[in-house]
Amino acid sequence: METTENITNKDSFLSLRHLVKVYPNGEKAVYDFNLEIAKNEFIVIVGPSGCGKSTTLRMVAGLEDITDGDVYLGDELLNYKPCKDRHMAIVFQSYALYPQMNVYQNIAFPLTINSYPAPVVNQTLLSCAQIRALFEKNQFDEIKNLFGQHAKSAKGGALAEEMAVILDIEHCSAKLLVKLLGSPDAGLSGLTARLDELEKAERAKLEASGVKLNEKFHVLNEDGAEKIVTRKLTHYEIKTKVYETAEKLDLTPYLDKIPKELSGGQMQRVALGRAIIKNVPIFLMDEPLSNLDAKLRLTMRSEIVKLHNRINATTIYVTHDQIEAMTMATRIVVMSRGFVQQIGTPEEIYNHPVNLFVARFIGSPSMNMFEMEYDKQKNAFTYGGFNIPADKDFKGAYKAFYENKCKEFEAINANFDLSARESILKVLSILGETKAKTKTAKKQNFIVRTIEFFKNLSKKKNEGEEEVWLKEKTIAKEKLEQLRSCVESGKKVVIGIRPERIEIEKVEAGKKYDGYYVTEPALAELLGGDYNVHFEFCGTNMIGKLDARYKLNAGDKIAVKFSADDLFVFDPVTGDVIK
Amino acid sequence: MKTVQKKRLTKSQITARNEKIVSFIVLAFASLLFIFPLIYMLGTSFKSDLDLQMHPEKIFPTPGQWTLKHYAGFFINSEGQLDNMPKWMFNSLWSTSVTVILTVLIDLVVAYVVVFLRWKGKKVFMKALFAWMAAPTVIATAPGLVIFQTVKSTLGISSPAATYALVYFWLTIPGIVGVFNVILMHNFFKTIPVEIIESAKSDGASHFTIFRKIVCPLAKSTMLVIVLFTFAASWNNLQGPQLLMAGEGQYIQTITVALAESYGGSSAWGAQGVSMATAVFSLIPVLIIFLFTQNKMIEGLASTGVKG
Repeated sequence: METTENITNKDSFLSLRHLVKVYPNGEKAVYDFNLEIAKNEFIVIVGPSGCGKSTTLRMVAGLEDITDGDVYLGDELLNYKPCKDRHMAIVFQSYALYPQMNVYQNIAFPLTINSYPAPVVNQTLLSCAQIRALFEKNQFDEIKNLFGQHAKSAKGGALAEEMAVILDIEHCSAKLLVKLLGSPDAGLSGLTARLDELEKAERAKLEASGVKLNEKFHVLNEDGAEKIVTRKLTHYEIKTKVYETAEKLDLTPYLDKIPKELSGGQMQRVALGRAIIKNVPIFLMDEPLSNLDAKLRLTMRSEIVKLHNRINATTIYVTHDQIEAMTMATRIVVMSRGFVQQIGTPEEIYNHPVNLFVARFIGSPSMNMFEMEYDKQKNAFTYGGFNIPADKDFKGAYKAFYENKCKEFEAINANFDLSARESILKVLSILGETKAKTKTAKKQNFIVRTIEFFKNLSKKKNEGEEEVWLKEKTIAKEKLEQLRSCVESGKKVVIGIRPERIEIEKVEAGKKYDGYYVTEPALAELLGGDYNVHFEFCGTNMIGKLDARYKLNAGDKIAVKFSADDLFVFDPVTGDVIK
Repeated sequence: MKTVQKKRLTKSQITARNEKIVSFIVLAFASLLFIFPLIYMLGTSFKSDLDLQMHPEKIFPTPGQWTLKHYAGFFINSEGQLDNMPKWMFNSLWSTSVTVILTVLIDLVVAYVVVFLRWKGKKVFMKALFAWMAAPTVIATAPGLVIFQTVKSTLGISSPAATYALVYFWLTIPGIVGVFNVILMHNFFKTIPVEIIESAKSDGASHFTIFRKIVCPLAKSTMLVIVLFTFAASWNNLQGPQLLMAGEGQYIQTITVALAESYGGSSAWGAQGVSMATAVFSLIPVLIIFLFTQNKMIEGLASTGVKG
């Protein structure tokens, strides 16, 4: 694909190169998927169900084996890395919350099972310094009052946690503070003396063992760098992180509920929270909004975009909803039957669809398509008596397009190998025509399979496969002939136009409508701001938009005009765009 | 004047009510049928010797004649020594517990491996398990006994302690590979949405973590079903232990074996009352287990597709 090649040069962060997926039953789900993703991009993979978009995502996540091709994260090959080591967050359509855990445990789960690198801190010295700073900054009496108030309701660990949050100090410092304030001789001078004592003892201990610290009380290695160990997070660290995340997502009131008691939107937020808390560079979302009702979907959609802007994780988002794709993506990948049809920004995809499939799939209401005859002499599209003039340079474009296509198909026909077959399959995927069924996909019971097995023993190998190939071979030949005839003389083309680009006027008596197509609308749906006007044109049903200020009554006529700039012209043989 | 109108029932309500009444009668009769022997057993165990002789037709002893005599000899016998009863209880309890714990563990692990790991021959393995279920366990009795005897004579086991070890090894270990339980657990694991496992994987969980933190807590109710089934089966097991323990001393017996022998009159415990008391006693653990597991068990059965 042209677009992919342009982006390869970009300094890419995650790159999917020639990904292919063949399922064990022989079904090919993804053909040659190429995508270079830059950091912080929001990629949406969109397509009808069964087009291989989820499979692609699962290959990136490591949940599905990669049949062929590579996934790179930076310079690192990810193909053989198990899912648990890929450091990606996945959000599923079914939320996949752990049903036996409450919201808090669900969000905290990734933190509880993983170890994280952290500098080694000398806790005694750190807490002494922090408490000293507190005493200098605040009035000692204030702190004591605070302690007195909270000591009534909380005890022990909980008390220390509360103090840590209120005074904004480390947990270990709060623990020491609680211990100090709880002792009988809790005067300022007495406590300072105690701190001195503690510090002195600790320093002596460090001196004896020869450990050095920096100014943040982090233990240093022999070479002067901070000593880093991977360790499990402490209970307190997890708690603060969970509360922070819950706050972001408005989940704080629900932390002790189990998933069963939550609504769909809340469950989705919990799933998001579990993804956010991991603090990973890549988010993968597999139709996360499909289980929500329409209104909630809207709010969650904007919420996810906001979230993406805030945390700046590279996101791959899979959906079948083209509106989601258009509104959320920085780039869209349109897929059909395992083939990537087009990759581009929402504007590109909307304004310059490369083929019929993309043009039909993106946009709501979808693009109007109708067949017209192209008249080379007049350089215009005709149907019946109605003419739409084409651009001046369309003639050249038309010729060049068909000459190129002819060459392409001649090459395919000359050497019908696997890649040639795949290009035929891709053409079929664009046009939405049925492809030849592969035999193996069907599931049969054991006895039937055994009989088949013995039957096949007498047959030659690959016979079934050849039959399928034969069918595609004939298709290739047919297409070539059709293309050749197009070069010689003008033939049918498929014209597409977006509903909002059709110029519709209400017919008024006494006015002349030259170059307009006058008809009676079959149906006018009032959406509030404007009408969706359904009318018949060239034997197909069309939808156009009309401002609701012009009131349409039954029996009113409309005049329709198409300007050449807004037309998309597609080749009906291959489905690709000519202009 | 106000008249209190009687609510007229619709046709479907009447049918529903009738259905309820009929099913209540049938169920009440059936449960009476099942519970009667148990109540008779309980009553008889409290009867005095005279009552046992004179009124076998009565369920409960004559008022004023209740006695705990039959229970009294359980722990300390007439010579003031520890009686056999606690030993049997102990034998039964520990062997059953070991069987139950190992069974649950093995079932969990096997089901996890079959459902959540990818390997070749998985389907064949499951089919083989199903086929195995078709083979009646009884056919293994005679060959098993022969092997047991061969092992025993080859190893030259004759001392009571060694015999005890061998017999109980033979009782507990083969008992833990019940195919039905594995399939029960397998069916339950199949109902766990695969996304949950996948999302745990992406959270960085290893298979062991997934097993311990996600799958096992979810499988609680199915685990209880298996605990109950295995406990009852192992506790009530008579034929196997009887065969293996034939000709050995009383020290080695489980409670069921002892019960069967005492009723046969081969021991001093031949009296009806005592045997009933023993039976009551032997039921206590099963009842306790049942009390704790029954609610969860029904849930577990429903979720594994084995509707009760």
